[in-house]
Amino acid sequence: MPLTLKLVTGRTIEQGRSMESGGKFSDIYRRAVAVAEMNPKDIEIIGIKDNVKITSVYGSIVVNVKPNNDIPPGTVFIPMGPWANLLTLPITEGTGMPTLKNIDVYVEATSEDATPLDAILRFFGVNKIHYKPAERPLSVGIKRVVYDVPCPFCGEVCDFLTIELDGEKTSRVLNACPIGHAKFMNYYRHRVLTPMIRQESNGDFMEVDLEYALDKAAEILANAKYPLIYGLSSTCVEVTELAVELAEITRGVVDNTTTLCHGPTVLAVQEVGSVRITLGMAMNLADTIVFWGCNPMNAHINHIRRIILPEGRFVKGRKERKIIVIDIRRTDTAKLADIFIQIEPGKDYELFTVLRMALRDYDIEVPSVAGVPREKIYELIEIMRTAKFGVIFFGMGLTQGGAKYKNLEEVIKLVQELNEWSKWALLPMRGHYNVTGSNHAMLWLTGYPYGVDFSRGFPKMIPGVTTTIDLLVNGDVDAALIIASDPVAHFPQKAVENLMRIPKIVVDPFWSLSASVADVLIPSAVTGVECEGTVYRLDDVPLRLKKFVEPPKGVLCDIDILSKLIDRVKKLKGLA
Amino acid sequence: MTDIIIKNGFVIDPFNNIKGELMDIGISNGRIVDPSKVRESEAIVIDAGERLVVAGGIDIHSHIAGPKVNIGRLMRPEDHYLTNVPSKLPFRRAMTGRTVPNVFAIGYKYAMMGYTLVAEPACAPLKMRHAHDELNAIPIIDKMVFVLVDSNWLALDLMAENRKDLLKIYLAWLLYATKGYALKLVDPGSDVAWMMGRPSLDLDDQVPEYNLTPKDIIRLVGEANESLNLPHTIHVHCNRLGFPGNYITTLNTMKLGKDFALRDRNSIHITHVQFTGYGGESWATLESGGEVIASELNANPYVTLDLGQVTFGEATTMTADAPFEFILYHLTRWKWANADIENETASGIVPYRYRKKSYVNTIQWAIGLEVLLLSRDPWRTLITTDHPNAGVFTDYPKIFAWIMSKSYREKTLKEVNQRALRKCILPSINREITLYELIIITRAAPAKLLGLEDTKGHLGVGADADIAIYDINPRAIDPSSEYEKILKAFQRAWCVIKEGKIVVKEREIVQTIYGKTYSVNPYTAISDDIRKEFEAYLKDRFKRYYTVSLENFVIRDYEIRKLTEVRIKPRL
Ligand code: SF4
Ligand SMILES: [Zn+2]
Repeated sequence: MPLTLKLVTGRTIEQGRSMESGGKFSDIYRRAVAVAEMNPKDIEIIGIKDNVKITSVYGSIVVNVKPNNDIPPGTVFIPMGPWANLLTLPITEGTGMPTLKNIDVYVEATSEDATPLDAILRFFGVNKIHYKPAERPLSVGIKRVVYDVPCPFCGEVCDFLTIELDGEKTSRVLNACPIGHAKFMNYYRHRVLTPMIRQESNGDFMEVDLEYALDKAAEILANAKYPLIYGLSSTCVEVTELAVELAEITRGVVDNTTTLCHGPTVLAVQEVGSVRITLGMAMNLADTIVFWGCNPMNAHINHIRRIILPEGRFVKGRKERKIIVIDIRRTDTAKLADIFIQIEPGKDYELFTVLRMALRDYDIEVPSVAGVPREKIYELIEIMRTAKFGVIFFGMGLTQGGAKYKNLEEVIKLVQELNEWSKWALLPMRGHYNVTGSNHAMLWLTGYPYGVDFSRGFPKMIPGVTTTIDLLVNGDVDAALIIASDPVAHFPQKAVENLMRIPKIVVDPFWSLSASVADVLIPSAVTGVECEGTVYRLDDVPLRLKKFVEPPKGVLCDIDILSKLIDRVKKLKGLA
Repeated sequence: MTDIIIKNGFVIDPFNNIKGELMDIGISNGRIVDPSKVRESEAIVIDAGERLVVAGGIDIHSHIAGPKVNIGRLMRPEDHYLTNVPSKLPFRRAMTGRTVPNVFAIGYKYAMMGYTLVAEPACAPLKMRHAHDELNAIPIIDKMVFVLVDSNWLALDLMAENRKDLLKIYLAWLLYATKGYALKLVDPGSDVAWMMGRPSLDLDDQVPEYNLTPKDIIRLVGEANESLNLPHTIHVHCNRLGFPGNYITTLNTMKLGKDFALRDRNSIHITHVQFTGYGGESWATLESGGEVIASELNANPYVTLDLGQVTFGEATTMTADAPFEFILYHLTRWKWANADIENETASGIVPYRYRKKSYVNTIQWAIGLEVLLLSRDPWRTLITTDHPNAGVFTDYPKIFAWIMSKSYREKTLKEVNQRALRKCILPSINREITLYELIIITRAAPAKLLGLEDTKGHLGVGADADIAIYDINPRAIDPSSEYEKILKAFQRAWCVIKEGKIVVKEREIVQTIYGKTYSVNPYTAISDDIRKEFEAYLKDRFKRYYTVSLENFVIRDYEIRKLTEVRIKPRL
């Protein structure tokens, strides 16, 4: 019997690792993301034997099923990726954030084969995909060891890695988590090494020299009335600074991936403020740690060994810390916890509100809220109130569904009020390694953290209007420059469809789905391996990424590519 | 670079004892030269038309860069909505924001007011790279940043273990590693308490976990500052800031300067004294402590101070005094941001509005002006608004007019809370600051206080060619009655030259250039042996306390756009 369930999307270890090792066209990536995790009870009720067909208002996919007792009945989990995006809702309700969690989907058994990637892309309006990955040449010879290397993958930016090199080849990576490890070991694979331009005649890629590609890209940007510059979270802050300048020159709009991850968190800070710490505060002082709607064991794997396990100055390691996990499913992080509280999907706002009430000693009149029994709520608030030093780490479980930024306002207020009783702080578990830095650079240059429009010559940000998903869905922008990001793999279908209608310049070291559909494709060197640059950790700590390998011949760093692009656009616009 | 010659201007240059003489100024290669050395036929000749010619202004305390400022921008989108100025490419980028402006508005607006050097007065060591990122992005002006040290566990460990020599070397290293310019103390020791959820401290309270008092911290850092021979003194935001009755703590802090004055000069700078100049027992009985503070200043040559003058209107309070911001949040109940930085410090941000009709705000306004008008030494009393805490830096012309014109003061006195005025002596003060004194206060004195008097704050041969020309004829103007002219002229300079380049012409920005960042390096001159021993100690402690590695903490020279490192030889 088919059922209507709630779709939840999110990161997994396999999704991250397979993306870094195999690339987005690989079988292992497909196996990692074209899968629906469901509670065995639901699988039985629906009567799934082979595959499952999942349908939302926006589309329909067939994927494999993986039974998982940790997923509550009534919920289906699909890792983030093109398959999930076919189903997600592009509606941002004025927040800039599409709905990526708690979406109603119709789930039925099927014997059809799983939907292949090219079918998904065709659905998005992509007719021709080109995928010509190359391995960058690696000289071997002199053996070297580089210490204190910061990892350019997730917001944790662990800067205590040791990398052993044989010439330019990574032979060993120490202290990294599996994803960081894959990142450094495979940096030479799936590379774009030559600039390419899509030919108008047959739609095929043609290899061109860099100068030509830059000229073409500059022409597109200079001729556009309202170009979109997007990405920026997986490169250094200097690149965001240049991207802002380019938006100012072209009177376009510049946005980073915040728009799709912690945008609502940032909007909430605009409304009420925040109470933040750097990670060392948690290590040295926190005796109570809450993970709410985030799963660092899968997404920020070193977080645990960095903050929770070690002995800090005033807390003697794990045994003196109480770990609480609040999530809709029993995640790997939940398995480490002293207390796990399972919450109904999309009900975080209710739970925050009732916690704020309980903090003020108001009675809770209903037996349970958000699926959590009243007694448990009293117990939780008592733990919070009496903690010496507490920290809430939260993830996209709070930002991508339900009440969006209202969730965040509520949790920030809860933490602000908890400070009347004890010490509490909260931190978002930011995904991309420099999404925080990109927000900061936009702030100091424009006063706004993302979604910044320059159509009138000065910066303005209107969530739900100048944010990427809305700009694409409404067909407002007429060209796109995508830097170190893969919107085709991560945007809802409707947004991708419109992106396919406009000229696209993609700057990326790696083959991504977006690279494969670009009109102008410019290879860049890998920041943090082949290029230096400053990045900001998820707790705002700025760090300098290292360069320890020369870029491949003829391939430039993002900074140089953007600088050259700016020079050319200025000339075309008569501003040089 | 084309040479420039400024002709026909009235020059005021207190360092060189020039009091409004008609003279030419020559500029070559970014420096002031003897005008006879400039070949007029090949130079740009600026006819100043009997206007006032002075050195570029210097602001020693204005929050213009770093994490606090940026979170302020994030928290206050409403600050940008109505303040936009579109770009004028390729000459000028877009400006936005008032209390928390973007980097372009900061650089351009300071330049338009004739200011050419500004100090960001507080940043946590771990976030100094962020401060430098923003300083790199601010156009035109020269800049510097002070590093917070008073609640730093590494420093306090050394103090508590009574290892004074190692403390000095640590502070020397910290300035070098973070490319800072001076040592900053904010509500000394209180952030140690705050990080542990305890209340803030007075001078003689015990710092939690340490056998130390804030008084010990000030003395020890003060002594280190003097024996390291740093160009600036310690820069102190007093304990009990923002509490009624706190002027006593301020007086006691001022008195400490004598204890560690090793050089033949002042040894302690008390910042934004208005916030720590409160008499009375509660907000309802608040009184001005301005007169007492001014008389201590007059009697105590070791002290310099700046005002933190309230200018009325919108502000965004931001300070490393995290416990104070928490209290202010309870008074305002709107937005509050806090950030605790591992092992180092904390900070808070709360938006605030100063109202003329408010009793408290009126007293605050009066305190700043009283201190300045009762101070006998313009070389030791500087003007700041502690931007954007007590007011925005673009309000400086208002302050100039208040101190130069009794009639402008009287105009404002009529608009403010009358009950409050009964607790202030401001209405009875007749003094009017002269133009010459104003130029000391805004140019010569801050240059001297920062130890940059060789190249800044004057127009003598060899100085940096940072020059402002204002639309005032110093011989003709009567500031007392013509305060409107003062307000207007100082808001938008007629012409500004930065390092020999014309950046403001007829009150408009005409090009975007980037200035220097000053840092001090007392570390390199210390002997190798001592440094080795210290680094071994540091490595171990650092690893235990921090979540970043020591190597990545250190900021390299090339991370700064135009680094000007002041190398000094400590007297250890
Ligand atoms: S936790 Fe994140 S930053 Fe650290 S090693 Fe893993 S992927 Fe890299
Ligand atoms: Zn200040």
